[in-house]
Amino acid sequence: MSPIRSRRARTALATLAALAALALAPATSAQQVVDRWRPNPPASSYGQRFDDLFLLITVLIGVSFAIVLVLLIVPVVRDRARPGHKASFDHGSSLHDKRFTAVVSVTVFIVLDAWVLVVAMKDLREGYWNMPRPDTPDVLRVEVLAQQWSWNFRTPGSDGELGTPDDVLSINQLTVPQDRPVALNVTSKDVIHSLFVPDMRVKRDANPGAINVAWFQPIKAGDFQILCAELCGYAHYQMHGKLHVLPAAQYDAWEQEASAIALAEHDPNDAEARWAWDFKE
Amino acid sequence: MTRTLLPSVAALALLAAAGLLAPGDVTDEGRGAAPAPDLPPHARAPYGVPLSVAEGARLLAWDKDIERAAAAAEPGRFRKDGDTWVDARGEYAWDAEEEVYWQDVPASTLTRGRQDFVQFCSSCHGLQGDGYGRSARGLRPPPRSFLRSTFKFTKVPGAFLPNDDALLRLVQHGLDGTPMLPWAVSEQRLRDILQYVKSLSPEDSGWRDPTNEIGDVIYTPPDPVTDESHPKHPWYRQPEKAVAAGAEAYHKYQCWSCHPAYMTQKQLNALRGPSFADTAYDASLTYGKLKKDSSYEVLGYHVAIPAPDFTWHVLRYGRDAREVFQTIAAGIDGAGMPTWGRTDPDAKGSVPDEEIWAIAHYVRHLVATYQDQPAERAAFMAGVRSK
Repeated sequence: MSPIRSRRARTALATLAALAALALAPATSAQQVVDRWRPNPPASSYGQRFDDLFLLITVLIGVSFAIVLVLLIVPVVRDRARPGHKASFDHGSSLHDKRFTAVVSVTVFIVLDAWVLVVAMKDLREGYWNMPRPDTPDVLRVEVLAQQWSWNFRTPGSDGELGTPDDVLSINQLTVPQDRPVALNVTSKDVIHSLFVPDMRVKRDANPGAINVAWFQPIKAGDFQILCAELCGYAHYQMHGKLHVLPAAQYDAWEQEASAIALAEHDPNDAEARWAWDFKE
Repeated sequence: MTRTLLPSVAALALLAAAGLLAPGDVTDEGRGAAPAPDLPPHARAPYGVPLSVAEGARLLAWDKDIERAAAAAEPGRFRKDGDTWVDARGEYAWDAEEEVYWQDVPASTLTRGRQDFVQFCSSCHGLQGDGYGRSARGLRPPPRSFLRSTFKFTKVPGAFLPNDDALLRLVQHGLDGTPMLPWAVSEQRLRDILQYVKSLSPEDSGWRDPTNEIGDVIYTPPDPVTDESHPKHPWYRQPEKAVAAGAEAYHKYQCWSCHPAYMTQKQLNALRGPSFADTAYDASLTYGKLKKDSSYEVLGYHVAIPAPDFTWHVLRYGRDAREVFQTIAAGIDGAGMPTWGRTDPDAKGSVPDEEIWAIAHYVRHLVATYQDQPAERAAFMAGVRSK
């Protein structure tokens, strides 16, 4: 005889065990399990801010969720029908209940929402939306042209000007320097896409006919994923690229060589291949 | 009672009015062509784009495909009449005058192919298959136009039309470094799409031209580095020896007249022999060259694509030495790359198989060592460019 007698409880336990196995396997350490459930550490200057905000929201919501659960479960257990106890329930129409409801409503809908509107929106506006790009002329400007199902990137090359023959054009590969702000202009040829570099904590929609701006400043060298975060058709899942972040000195050498190759490849008769636009700051 | 009913009645009346005013079903005339009666749910396309093909197509067929069909068909369908096959169902027919087999592809197959073509391919290759879809703008290399029946990277020598299997492999493999993805669509659907693509050949060209011949993938002898039947070969299990031989062969056969050279001018001249001792080259020696005469036409103007630098560019169809061998041996139809290998084992190629294998290993070595390794590549190319 199993120590747990209820069949339902056994099923619930088995499900929980399966979920735990799914969550843990095939991890070899507790750290691996933690890593699996959180995003990669941020690789951009403002990335930590987003992680802090994410943590704050998770904790706030988690605490609220716990309070609501307790408020739900306690009466359900306390007032349930059992031998010697009749189930009790309440329409909540007494004056006391009405007062209580009014107080909670006022607190939640006025005090909390007002706080969210005034304080949180101010934080978002100044700290998370339209964050000012570092005020330096040393910015790498990148034009991103999305299409079904690829990313076209254009970087200015060694002359620093977009729309010139030495522009470096690439498909699904973007090479940027470390510790320099990268300003992006994102648009699309066909449908709505969304440029997403999770490690840089940057995501911007690519709308046909509109140029959307974003920026990030990589603080780590390495290779990172570029994804499309907007369902854009059949091969949306294959629409990914690679972001190479090179240390500054290596980047300069790379840029020089890439520009030289771009110049060798430049075909003056092929006007259509030069799709640059006036960069929107 | 009236007070509660009134808003509902008003809302219903509004809905009914909207239904009366809204356009009804689009008529067949409006669609440009009559839609097939059983359109699958995904078969939606921009307004006015026909999604069905009214007539079947008579396309060139490959002898080997017919032999395979005969082996797989129910008994009694195919019989031999002298040297040629006779298909009782009439799908394949021998044309005694032109000495080719024709395949009658039914309109239903082409319609299925057309619908998947519109869904998967048309954003780049265009709704008409002319290589000028909405997403094609500014793409380099430009998407293929299916009206010209030349295909790069099929591994079939340029003198022939590629067979269906070669095209299928190409579509499933994708072209690395371009938006041509590895297509994970079921084989049957891909084959229908291919039939439709072949049917796009204009009258008397491509698969509608009986003077064309469909060819097999280039003859591919075993790789001496891995060929277990010849363990005495000096390169057997020693790829570095093949790479060294490949470096020599690459420069001996003047691959650098289109691709970059990976030797200093002095080394190159020493390799070319005493009469070249003082030859000077211009700066483009270590860069890919733009060949105007091999350019590809897009809507009336020419697009020139340079030969790749193996330390820099992604190889379109060369993930291993075997794929590189086949690309070199078969050449690239529609580009400056000629057929270097031999089309069948009895023929003689312009470059011996063993040297093509060496060059293939050398190219893979360049890709693996220097691509995406900016520091190593910069040092290597600086050495090559020093006087």
